Amino acid sequence: MPRYIRRSSYPLAIEDPQLAEKAYGSWADAIILDFTRRADRDWQQDLKSRMPAAIHDAARGGAEVFVRINSGAAAAELESTIFSGITGIVLRGVPGAEDIQKASQCLDALEQDRGIVGGSLEIDVEIDTAAGVWRSLEIARASPRFGTFWANEQVLCKNLGMSSDPVLEFEPLEYIKSQLITVATSVGGQAQGMSYPLSLTQEDTGEDELRKAVRRARDTGFKGAVCPHASWIKACNEGFRPSPEETAHYVKVIEVFAEGLKRGMASVPMDGKMIDVPVDLRAKLYLEWARRAQARDEEKARAHGKPAA
Amino acid sequence: MNERVARCSMFVTPTNPRFIDKAWTRGGDVYILDIEDSIAPAEKERCRRLIRESIHKASKGGASIYVRINKPFVDADLPYAVWPGVDRIMLPKTESAAEMRHAHEIISRLERERGIPEGYIELSPMIESALGAVNIYEILTAVPRKIWSQGGGGGYDMAVNLGIEMFADFDQYAFPVANVALASMALGIEATGGVFVPNPSGRVGQSDQAVKQAEALHAAGIHHAGALHPAFIHPLVSGLSPTPDEITWARKVIDECTRLADMGESVGTLEGKIIDEYEYDMALRTRDWAAACAAKDRFKASALSRAQAGAQQQG
Repeated sequence: MPRYIRRSSYPLAIEDPQLAEKAYGSWADAIILDFTRRADRDWQQDLKSRMPAAIHDAARGGAEVFVRINSGAAAAELESTIFSGITGIVLRGVPGAEDIQKASQCLDALEQDRGIVGGSLEIDVEIDTAAGVWRSLEIARASPRFGTFWANEQVLCKNLGMSSDPVLEFEPLEYIKSQLITVATSVGGQAQGMSYPLSLTQEDTGEDELRKAVRRARDTGFKGAVCPHASWIKACNEGFRPSPEETAHYVKVIEVFAEGLKRGMASVPMDGKMIDVPVDLRAKLYLEWARRAQARDEEKARAHGKPAA
Repeated sequence: MNERVARCSMFVTPTNPRFIDKAWTRGGDVYILDIEDSIAPAEKERCRRLIRESIHKASKGGASIYVRINKPFVDADLPYAVWPGVDRIMLPKTESAAEMRHAHEIISRLERERGIPEGYIELSPMIESALGAVNIYEILTAVPRKIWSQGGGGGYDMAVNLGIEMFADFDQYAFPVANVALASMALGIEATGGVFVPNPSGRVGQSDQAVKQAEALHAAGIHHAGALHPAFIHPLVSGLSPTPDEITWARKVIDECTRLADMGESVGTLEGKIIDEYEYDMALRTRDWAAACAAKDRFKASALSRAQAGAQQQG
């Protein structure tokens, strides 16, 4: 089950004058802050002066806040962007475990300097190269800070020499997605991503298509998606969690199986299917997942001064 | 006997006479005596005590016998699972080499105590979690016990671990299943999985589904599959055996490649197709698999005949 309830991650630029309004109104579980290095001034000083306010603005709606960092310049960028209120970083362009270890060491020092709980900052990794996929296991095992893989499929396709237009009738990155999900899960983390073809088109599409795409992404094993449009967020928040129908089903599963166990049965029929130990375990995990998702929604509702839906 | 041939392995519940008493009549290559998920916690102890007599019951038709134990109860289960007549112990939810070594040590001691040639019983890790799937190579190389075949990386427990619903219409286990299959084959172990066959209904008793599964596995060169329902046995046993045409072709390829080799050639044509060392290797595999299947089928037929005669005498 998901380590984090992070169904929707919404990238916003700190230079965006509407950052606060967009973040607050998005209802995203997480905001990813992107920045541009200003060539006309000391970019590090510029970032340092703006990041605390940007983090505050991004978090107003109850979202976790991440900052996206280039792996090749991680030390300087981390020094300029890590302040209290950040949940973690998203590292992009990661070729191997060494980059994670170096970033983790930087975070150790920054946590100590800036009054952040030691070891609390998370490292998420945007996978956008063949090297990143190939070394995904060593990357995920490189630091206990590792939390999430995110397959940036548009960039990854280009790195692999593939068209990033959705011209194929089948999912071209099925194996890679499965690898990232499996590897992340193996270390207690998770992966986020969208199903094909939306993963490549990134379109602001209709609600029905979006909900189907989210369902398929969830069935693939993703626990959330990076949303290029605010319009994706509601479908992701509702789709990357057990639905009310699933929750009701699993409540019944637990009841039926408990009754069976009392009668010494290990396998109990329910609605034409057999309920046994793994099904009962799944039911309990799903109910916990639903409970945590509900709690997250309530947390965000409080931040908005509203009752939970 | 002939543990290599496991075209269809089916789980049976030792505590349920309806299943265990009829198993020998079903024609399976392997029966897996289950102490794990099909047994209620309150029934585990009774099930353990039934294993020894169940080995005899289930193998009367010539099937090999595996026993699936419980991950949390390895020490408690193995003394009830390791007996003459058992070909394999299945270790559920294996995630590390250490788990393999622990089970191996206990099995080795029990083999010595019970007159079983040491190392005879296979130890097969069941890969049912993401951690097991990524650690598969070290798991398979952890102990010196030979195993003929290995699969895993999918299934219900893996779905729970990955947080997904099963029975989608696409391959949800593309990486873990392939990783297990490739690691196995790299170590000279026959793979039992690796081919996705859609089954969105999730039903396990449809023989037409078994036929589709057998066709897909056969085409991929995979000879082994598991079953949860007797309706799968015949389609898998027949579908995973070489066809007469395949055996005939293999013989022709072997003869022609041998003739070419005698002439100092390595590539030739046969009935319009190019044949080379790879075709020759495939032909040898087909020939060997056909021989193994035939031996297993003769053994099963002979055992079944004896068991039927015995049943008639008792009846």
